[in-house]
Amino acid sequence: MADTKAAAVMPTPTRKKLPPKTIVAYSILAAVLVLVPVLVQSATGWEFIVRIFVIVGIWVLLALGLNIVVGYAGLLDLGYIAFYAMGGYAGVIIGQAVSHWTGGATYFLMLIPAALAGALTGVALGFPVLRLRGDYLAIVTLGFGEIVRICLNNNLFGLSNGASGLPYGNQVMALPFGAQWLQDNIRFQTPLGFFQFGPNMYWYVIVVMLVLGAIFVIRRLDDSRLGRAWVAMRENEVAAEACGINIRTQKLWAFSLGALSGGIAGVTFAYVQQFISPESFTFMESVFVVCIIVIGGMGSIKGVIAGALLIKGVPDLIQGLAVAGVLKMPAEMQSLMSNYRFLVFGLLMVVMMAVRPQGIIPSSRRARELLPEDGRILAEEDMQEWDVENRANTEPDDV
Amino acid sequence: MTMGKARKYMAIVALLAAVALVVTGCGGSGSSAGGGATGAVKVTIGIGAPLTDGAVALGKGMVRGANLAITQANASQEVKDLGLTIASVEGDDKGDPTTGGNVATQFASNPTLVGVMGHLNSGVTRVAVKIYNQANIVQVSPANTAVDLTQMGMTNYFRVCANDAVQGPAGADYAFKTGGFKKAFVVDDSTPYGVGLADEWGKQFAADGGAVAGREKTSDKDTDFKSLVTKIKAAGIDIVYYGGIYNSGALLSKQLKEGGVNVPLMGGDGLFDPEYIKLAGAAIAKGDLATSVGLPTAQMPKGQDFIAAYKAAYPSDEIAAYDAYSFDAANAIIKAIVSVAKSMGADKVTTTEGKKAIIAAVAKTNFEGVSGTVSFDAHGDTTNKAITVYTVGADGAWAPVSK
Amino acid sequence: MSYLLSQLINGITLGGLYALVALGYTLVYGILLMINFAHSELFMAGGYVGLGVLKVLSDGAVATGPLAFMKPAQTFFNSGMLGFVALMAATFLISAVIVGLLGVLIERFAYRPLRHAPRLAPLISAIGVSIFLQNAVLLWVSSKQLPYSRADGTAFVTSHTLLKFGGVEITTMQVFIVVTSLLLLLFLDTFVARTRIGRAMRATSQDREAAGLMGVDINSVIALAFFIGPALGAVAGVFNGMYYGSVKYNMGFIPGIKSFTAAVVGGIGNLRGAMLGGFLLGIVESLAGGFLETGYKDVIAFIVLVLVLIFRPGGLLGEAVAEKV
Repeated sequence: MADTKAAAVMPTPTRKKLPPKTIVAYSILAAVLVLVPVLVQSATGWEFIVRIFVIVGIWVLLALGLNIVVGYAGLLDLGYIAFYAMGGYAGVIIGQAVSHWTGGATYFLMLIPAALAGALTGVALGFPVLRLRGDYLAIVTLGFGEIVRICLNNNLFGLSNGASGLPYGNQVMALPFGAQWLQDNIRFQTPLGFFQFGPNMYWYVIVVMLVLGAIFVIRRLDDSRLGRAWVAMRENEVAAEACGINIRTQKLWAFSLGALSGGIAGVTFAYVQQFISPESFTFMESVFVVCIIVIGGMGSIKGVIAGALLIKGVPDLIQGLAVAGVLKMPAEMQSLMSNYRFLVFGLLMVVMMAVRPQGIIPSSRRARELLPEDGRILAEEDMQEWDVENRANTEPDDV
Repeated sequence: MTMGKARKYMAIVALLAAVALVVTGCGGSGSSAGGGATGAVKVTIGIGAPLTDGAVALGKGMVRGANLAITQANASQEVKDLGLTIASVEGDDKGDPTTGGNVATQFASNPTLVGVMGHLNSGVTRVAVKIYNQANIVQVSPANTAVDLTQMGMTNYFRVCANDAVQGPAGADYAFKTGGFKKAFVVDDSTPYGVGLADEWGKQFAADGGAVAGREKTSDKDTDFKSLVTKIKAAGIDIVYYGGIYNSGALLSKQLKEGGVNVPLMGGDGLFDPEYIKLAGAAIAKGDLATSVGLPTAQMPKGQDFIAAYKAAYPSDEIAAYDAYSFDAANAIIKAIVSVAKSMGADKVTTTEGKKAIIAAVAKTNFEGVSGTVSFDAHGDTTNKAITVYTVGADGAWAPVSK
Repeated sequence: MSYLLSQLINGITLGGLYALVALGYTLVYGILLMINFAHSELFMAGGYVGLGVLKVLSDGAVATGPLAFMKPAQTFFNSGMLGFVALMAATFLISAVIVGLLGVLIERFAYRPLRHAPRLAPLISAIGVSIFLQNAVLLWVSSKQLPYSRADGTAFVTSHTLLKFGGVEITTMQVFIVVTSLLLLLFLDTFVARTRIGRAMRATSQDREAAGLMGVDINSVIALAFFIGPALGAVAGVFNGMYYGSVKYNMGFIPGIKSFTAAVVGGIGNLRGAMLGGFLLGIVESLAGGFLETGYKDVIAFIVLVLVLIFRPGGLLGEAVAEKV
């Protein structure tokens, strides 16, 4: 897959225009990603695997957004789930009001208010708090996350229907167009078995698109002026400021872009689940996202995806397989597993910080920051500098 | 190419290999499990409940109640003659809607699964019932009390317990008319269950002519009610209604009485648990009230049988609030399976037509269960609207109040 | 008026608990400049250890089997004023020491390896420790909410009304909590200001490296801070159990955040500030609960935190410290 290292170090002019190679690569990736659950489902008949992929995908989206804030800009946000909630609620409240006219397009149209709700909340919170030091910022964002959740729960302004969630009673959320038709008409025989288009498959395709879109944007951002400013800021705020980078603006950009991604993830989550309630936005969920990034690798797109698969996907998959009767596990064992996972995550966070702070699949830049003494990384760095000086642009610039 | 890069690719290859192994491994054992059932037709009932997080004590009780019904059914000659084996599968919804959605999809992916006994939390049902509806799976809940669940237009949804709109007002009527309480303070725990119940109770209490002096929200994780107690004390009331679960309810009761507010605390079936008395202490809990759906199990015609069978099957466990309802809910599904197997043939039960027939059969359910007559109205609500008020007696146990 | 006073008394008691926990945050922050996110879990652990000690020392239902030898000791602890005082002293001491040692252990394995890492690393590690501890208690102790009483339902400490005027009541428990927390602050304040070790602590907090060069054993000083902070947290945990009547594995989170808020409000790193912040926050919260909606009392605490950090990040008693370059 992608190799960001070379691109990260040098602003390559070829990046300005989108090379057809990139488009092809993204398309192939999308096709493969869509094909995998089709094959898995037809081989096993388990639609739940697709749902797990959908949920994992939403978490990838969330984690990619937070990754901008934590991984690139170096701001620890412990209340990130608030943006997810804002996006979800904005999408549902506005969507329910207009769905009479918009029908099957509701979800797609609601992406805009959800993204706006996320981003605007991000700016509104970011404006006063971003001048705080890292750890203070972490606690303030934590407080903000709780404020949002409690206000939703207490039905502030009478919009959120409190703890019962939305939609209420016989209201239904409009299915996006095509979903029903595809379910009714798409069924075919594959070499592995029979495939029937389930309700989750539709969302899976959408989530894959969103994730690929986010990856594309983030990779472009990473190489842009803004991305380089973030890195400079993360490495040394004072030096960056001295170089003419407006710290406040850069932080605000990172914060609101991350929040925007959270908002989109939120509305998608709400429409996938066809229901939204404050209990999905607790502090633990925020910790989950941070966990994904830390364990996967801060600032690394591949790391974040691996983290989401590991932390959200694997436990759900194990539980699903146990319920499906494939993994023969006594109920006691199952509950042990699902309980011990938090214990293990906690321990992993501690161990990771001590042993491998750069994460499972590290971003090379971030690794250098966290482990400056690591000889291997220094060697790699030297190599890259040599690359830049001596054979600029010979590294294949693939995706 | 550097060391780091080589390692990275190796890691990716290893990851892919692991995924492949998992997938192929699953496929293999999956087919063998399907072929394992010989002779009898295997029909599965899903049991969805919080088992590792949320109200675990209630969830585990639900599993025990439902499994008892399934074991009894499998032992019965009727089921044997039809060539059916009823299996159960547990899904841990953790009391969380998203996890509940996963569990529901897992249940829906199981080709032999025709019905779900479950979901304790109304929020979980909101997500899960739509998934069951698409898969033509019947859901019978022993415990959902949110009023609007049966108004969602889901034809596959039924519940054997009365909803908040029955339980809340019944409690309020008792408090005002029988108990003689005139001025109440209403508190909820900000969960859908607690808010719904507290709202309904308050409405009826005011309609009866009582005064609601105050309405406050707390959180289901709160342990500090001191400031609230002072507020309640200043309101000068003679009863406190708490919409919520026993954990925080017990602490509120305790702190009320320690704070000198010596009035009974009343709540719904969420308080009706032995754990409530343990947490508050028997001396403090004495006189507290809880409503629960149906009549006391021990007084029901089939109650003693149920208690005896339960004690025989689970000697070390106490009967929790929803165990008898879970037993009845599972039986409603089992009876529907049996009737469909009789009319369509055992091998047709797990087909789409069979599942639809089961939903129709559950809608026509009518039998004497442990909790009373089990039958449903057009929306899927139980017709058994009996509510019993319990109080904590001097012996430190819940006992039905004498009317 | 008596209503206001009653709420004030609630607030001051709550404030005493916050203050004790806040001292732990501020002590560690003062020396290491890190937020010990796991401190709230040490507070929780204190509640559990205290419950265990109380059960062993004074609950007849526990003194069976291998613990049967405790019978005579229990008779002593359960009889008379002397027994009661001994019971309290033993409970608080044992809990404080055990939890203090746990704190030292956490510092040794989770934070010390990260002393030279960027600032986010120890914070993330601390979040990890916090999740770990909560789940360790959930899995290995109990997932249930446990009553803070003997098996027969009697409380270990019966609270009496000490003072009654108008509609206002003050209980022995409330006085006990407030007096203990004030005494502990006084002790800690004197310890840090007057003793040799205290001077070493202050030196370390000012400039760790320079202090090390001057012959201060940095590791011991930090370990000591990680002993005292959690020990105070444990005392608060035991009080919390006695006062509110139960312990649960997730009980630490909300009080932890609020105590941190208290530490920030008072000026983090400043012992007296933490105390002041604790009492202020307790009072604000009680009054907010008493005069506004109870459902928003947590929100109000968080809003106080956000406002203080935005407008006076140094806290009430702290100085505005510029970021070191």
